[in-house]
Amino acid sequence: MTVIEVRTLVKRFGPAAAVDGLSFEVGAGTVTGFLGPNGAGKTTTLRMLLGLVTPTTGQAVIWGRPYRELGVRRRRVGAVLEASGFHPGRTVAGHLRVRCAATGAAWSRIGTVLAETGMSELAGRRAGTLSLGERQRLGLAGALLGDPEVLILDEPANGLDPAGVLWLRGFLRQLGDQGRTVLVSSHILAEVAQFADRAVVIDRGRLVSAGPVTELVNSAQPTVMLRTPQAQALRDALTSEGAAVRAAGPGRLEITGLGTEEVATLAAALGIPVFEMTTDTGSLEEAFLRMTATEGRPG
Amino acid sequence: MTAALHAELMKLRTTRLVAAMTGLAVALTALIGVLEAVTAGSGKGMAIPSLATPGGLRDNLASTGFALLVAALLGVVITSGEFRLKTATDTYLDQPGRGRILAAKTIAAAAAGALLGIAATATSTGITLGFAAARGYPLALSDPAIARYAGGTVIGAALLAAVGAGAGSLIRHETGAIIAVVAWGLVIELVVGATVTTAGRFLPYTAAAMLAGDTNGGGMPQIPRGVTALPYPAAIAVLAAIAAALAAAAALTTVRRDIT
Repeated sequence: MTVIEVRTLVKRFGPAAAVDGLSFEVGAGTVTGFLGPNGAGKTTTLRMLLGLVTPTTGQAVIWGRPYRELGVRRRRVGAVLEASGFHPGRTVAGHLRVRCAATGAAWSRIGTVLAETGMSELAGRRAGTLSLGERQRLGLAGALLGDPEVLILDEPANGLDPAGVLWLRGFLRQLGDQGRTVLVSSHILAEVAQFADRAVVIDRGRLVSAGPVTELVNSAQPTVMLRTPQAQALRDALTSEGAAVRAAGPGRLEITGLGTEEVATLAAALGIPVFEMTTDTGSLEEAFLRMTATEGRPG
Repeated sequence: MTAALHAELMKLRTTRLVAAMTGLAVALTALIGVLEAVTAGSGKGMAIPSLATPGGLRDNLASTGFALLVAALLGVVITSGEFRLKTATDTYLDQPGRGRILAAKTIAAAAAGALLGIAATATSTGITLGFAAARGYPLALSDPAIARYAGGTVIGAALLAAVGAGAGSLIRHETGAIIAVVAWGLVIELVVGATVTTAGRFLPYTAAAMLAGDTNGGGMPQIPRGVTALPYPAAIAVLAAIAAALAAAAALTTVRRDIT
């Protein structure tokens, strides 16, 4: 069942089109990464979906209706668009009380969402004293107040330290496992690949691809990096299999064009020991360059 | 509408904005009130008449002029502050009905302005009556007259806060809106009132200050000479109409803009 539907959406700011005929769907119970480089139109699209920005043409709907017309069901949509959209003098609990009052969510949810986001001990702290990671968590806590079926998050990993990113990844996956529909924007493919089921990729306001996230990761042509005492022999074998191989130091090779399993199988068949093997899935920007090159669009 | 108003009132209860602005209003009122009371009847400079006279008492009770201006600024901050602090996004996500939010903010601003007005008039009344009593003057104003000026201060502060909320919604840029309101209260009304005296009493700050007891040629900020006070109900109606007109203008223009 389709929960979120974007239909030939266009938003122009003056002569420039921030979103240019974008269409995609998000199915129920999926975690979908909404990917694109900075300036691709992700935030503008999410704001149109949530009724904050009026489309020039086209439509973005949730459960078949514009966000503003969802009525009481709007409470079942949670969103985080601003990492710093808090009054600095208001406490964490005070912020959540205001949002409960505005949405009609039960006050008893405050304790629940604070616990879910690991913010219970910060309930009395003023928002202005929170770190960026804590503010991101507070934003998520606010979005969860209505126990939402649909969550829309704009770059929630921005500014998080590695521990925060790890926590967020698990948290988003957990939300997906609970059957919630999650649409989360990011410009980092490798990050989204860790928790998303599907990916919608846009660039310059247009759809580049949409599908299972694994397909997108594969299209990024991962680089396999390995260390072996028989680098030359393995290099020759890999090259004959069609891979592009580059020496990356004594005994180290960087291989593109073959996946990890193919490289490992070939090395095993030849009896060549491999001491270390890692995969760099590449950045979204690299994937974009390849996609746009394929489509003949300027990079 | 109830949820929106509940949320807006809770916003005011969960920050120090109202307390800080009320404190500023009380401090300014106290400063002016004490200076006026100390110099009353001296005939020096802008000294008010003796506190033994009805005019002196009235002028000292009306030392809330700057407090009224602070009430207008409170309204400005309540609306435009949402854009400076980027809290407008969550506000409109939680309540997409923008007209409803504007109405709730205007009412909440008026309520906060009334509180500020109560604190300011309590300060000026306390100072006036305290100084008069200390000097052994009999009370030259009737209780209803004193209550009328106190009520005028509260109503004037409430409605000026509502006017400020409308101005903040129209201008959105907080610093710009604050400058505009201060310039309006301190300069534009003085110039317009002094040059077109018949129009002066319809201007919002002048109407509110005269509700609070200010008279032409007096007050701080000063009411232009030649401007006559509107009848009490008419002054309230004018202020309410200006607040409604500003809110309506904002609802038709800036409030509809994209929240980016």
